[in-house]
Amino acid sequence: MPGPLQYFIWFSCTLLEVAVLVCAYRRQAIRQYFLLNLYISCEVVASVARFEILHHYGLLSFNYVYFYYYSDALLTILLFLALSSLFSQVFGELNAGRYVQFGALFLLSATALFSFAVVQQSSAKLLSHFVFELSQNLYFVGVVLTYILWAAILKLRETRTRLIQIVLSLGIYFSLYAANYALRNLYPSMESVFNSLNPLIGCFLPFAWAYAFWRIPDEARLEPSRLAVIR
Amino acid sequence: MSKKITVVAALLVLVGAMGLKTVVAGDNNSSDVTVMANGGAPTPPSPWKRNGGAPTPPSPWKKNGGAPTPPSPWK
Repeated sequence: MPGPLQYFIWFSCTLLEVAVLVCAYRRQAIRQYFLLNLYISCEVVASVARFEILHHYGLLSFNYVYFYYYSDALLTILLFLALSSLFSQVFGELNAGRYVQFGALFLLSATALFSFAVVQQSSAKLLSHFVFELSQNLYFVGVVLTYILWAAILKLRETRTRLIQIVLSLGIYFSLYAANYALRNLYPSMESVFNSLNPLIGCFLPFAWAYAFWRIPDEARLEPSRLAVIR
Repeated sequence: MSKKITVVAALLVLVGAMGLKTVVAGDNNSSDVTVMANGGAPTPPSPWKRNGGAPTPPSPWKKNGGAPTPPSPWK
């Protein structure tokens, strides 16, 4: 079973997620960032359900392992959709929203097909392996998409401060997980140390988004000169 | 911007993402280490973990009966 520190981090993370929803509601940003808020809402629900299952069955139980990995796959899909909604906002002025939606759906389908192709010949429990593989692959697709969105924000000289803050924090969040994943692969003997960092990194995104909704008004704009220029 | 360009861009993103995954995974089998990117819940041990000295948790994919598992036909 997890120790008191792990429970504290988990509880803090869930509180930060609730804070995101409260701040978004207070700033009337629920509708504008609907998919982001839907993702955070599902995070809260998943957190509570995971706690219930962990409390009843334990960390090593099939119930917790199955629920953890299946819920993580659903949350990753939701995070992917939230990311595509940020693309729609950034490219909205170019009237490219239709193409962004089509691209997001196509990319989701292609990733699912690729994941299925990877697992279909090597797995007896096809669905479970597929869900796990899809979650992992979709995560790396999210990493690449976030970097592309960063570049687009610089190139298009996006000035909406809150949107920039949300995208930047998402990029840092993905990068932290990718770095942690790489370090765990580089130093397998220290896997337990890097594993224990996972929940801590998980707190970063709700903290950054709560800050963005709470402190940065929707009408705030960055001066164009403060953005790097890419020619 | 056409749908063809969108499809090509999406495929490039997928190729880039899988390339990044391969690079980041290094020499290890990527299924040994998992990326879990949602929330602060403690990560359960990966059911595919094969390296290290820690006791392996029961795999949820093999839980039918108590008979000894025969050797894999692929080895």
